[in-house]
Amino acid sequence: MAFNLTGSRSLLSPDRAFRAIALTAAVVTAATLAIIFVVLVLGSIPALTATALPEFIAANAGPIFGTVATAIIAIAVAGPIGILAAVYLVEFAPKRLAIVLTFVVELIAAIPSVVFGLWALNDLSIRLRDSVEWWVASSIGKFIPFFSEDSGNPAADSVFRAGFLVGIMIIPLVVSLSREIIRAVPISLREGYIGMGATRWETIRQVVLPTARVGIIGALMLALGRALGETIAVTMVIGGSNDVPGSIFQPGSTIATRIATTLPEASEDVKSVLIALGVILFFVSLGLSLAMRLAARQTAKITASVK
Amino acid sequence: MTTARTHEMLESGSSRDSRRRVWDRFMRYTALAATIAAIAPLIALIYFVTTRAIPWLDAALFVNNPLDKPSGISNAIFGSLQLTTAAIIAVAPIGILAAIYLNEYASQRLVSWSELVIDVMLGVPSIVVGMFAFMVIVPQLGVSAGSGVVAIGILMLPIVIRTTQEVLRLVPASVREASLALGVPVWKTVTFVVCRTAFSGILTAVILAYSRGLGETAPLLLTVRGTFAQNWFDFGTTMNAMPLTIYSYSGAADSRTIGQAWAAALILMVMALALNIIVRARTVNSRVA
Repeated sequence: MAFNLTGSRSLLSPDRAFRAIALTAAVVTAATLAIIFVVLVLGSIPALTATALPEFIAANAGPIFGTVATAIIAIAVAGPIGILAAVYLVEFAPKRLAIVLTFVVELIAAIPSVVFGLWALNDLSIRLRDSVEWWVASSIGKFIPFFSEDSGNPAADSVFRAGFLVGIMIIPLVVSLSREIIRAVPISLREGYIGMGATRWETIRQVVLPTARVGIIGALMLALGRALGETIAVTMVIGGSNDVPGSIFQPGSTIATRIATTLPEASEDVKSVLIALGVILFFVSLGLSLAMRLAARQTAKITASVK
Repeated sequence: MTTARTHEMLESGSSRDSRRRVWDRFMRYTALAATIAAIAPLIALIYFVTTRAIPWLDAALFVNNPLDKPSGISNAIFGSLQLTTAAIIAVAPIGILAAIYLNEYASQRLVSWSELVIDVMLGVPSIVVGMFAFMVIVPQLGVSAGSGVVAIGILMLPIVIRTTQEVLRLVPASVREASLALGVPVWKTVTFVVCRTAFSGILTAVILAYSRGLGETAPLLLTVRGTFAQNWFDFGTTMNAMPLTIYSYSGAADSRTIGQAWAAALILMVMALALNIIVRARTVNSRVA
């Protein structure tokens, strides 16, 4: 709703003053973002021009590997669980139960990341070490060193545990975004399929999920962006080793954990490298959230064309 | 959804379809299992944090700071409250006014652009904002509570704007038109009619941002760094915060130190959950209106 202000004559009318104050607030916000953008880009130039990009990546392979690995593990955990939970909440659950469960799932997002880290460090990590890590390491790990573990002396921290923890933390995001998208699939599509004798699951599998596919991929991208940037919880369980680990059950680091733990005391050279890494993180998460928006727009088009 | 009727249709189907029905049932339970799996960590976490923290919860925790007596973390508890409150006081007016500008005055094109920008801002990892504060604000204000307030404020701003914008949009145009038709000036219409109607929602925006700010750790690590001393309202020097205490005490071997980390985690978790539950209860109420 836009107000037409041609009516106010005096330059000092309260109307103009109020509008000017509100405009100032909007400009301050825009300026803050612009300053962040400019500062980050300018700050990353020294490190990125000093070495060619391939060399830069090779020199920082540890944190880059850790960032990608934790994010992939996180999506592997949160994707299937989150999407299936969203399907349950929209398609199967009785209405009241769905309201309660949605509420509870969304509460997970309210818990501070550092609390997740403390819990994971003292509880989840140990459980994972004694269950999933052990199973994988003592089966697949025997043939593929990337999944191996020193069974006599398992590492105190690992990339896998960090990724799994981030997966748990982004589940609510995956659930709430997928839920919105699945809910937006027109009911007439479902009715048509059920009317032809399909079961509920067949309808979901063959109509609902294909229609929602682009949107769900977008949701996963946004969740991936969140996973890439997760800092403090990862710092607490990943172990802080700077090299590319020989196995995902070994300690590693991510771009975010490197920045959090070493930036304050870093020398000028290291500082500019860390800033360059941070800028890469910034642009990747920016790209992912733009991708999410495009995907959402696409889904809206599909669903609108049916209605 | 017409679950009951669908069921009837399925039950009356011919029996050769039983495999499809078994599969349907199987997937229904798989989806239910996924939902339980999504919730299970929350329950495990709440149980674990609560049982670990309760033995360490006492009045001394809130009264003493580690520099004077090691039995408390008052520096962290009140540090968090001061940092987050200062940030919300600085940011809430800017965010609310920016949302008012966008919703009441700006052109449609500007609004859709701003939505894109705010979405992007919401997606910026907090460590990147912390890094920005470290590069730009810390050289100006030093390693201090003030720098931390700026970092947290930047993270809160898009939350305030986005949520406020959404509630302002819900105020019907007829309310504005009625007020304007009575000859009420625009600015009074916006402040006393539109914002009044949306007051509960605007409060929600502020609470949500506050709750997010309380839990932020990474930006504080780069700007405030933490201290053992109790700091009252001196934003020029360092301060402590509950997330920083949890982080730095988390690996401690000494049972009291780790116990205090659990206690801080419980306090932080209860505050964050309580604020979010209040917000959700409010939104359910306002949807009725």
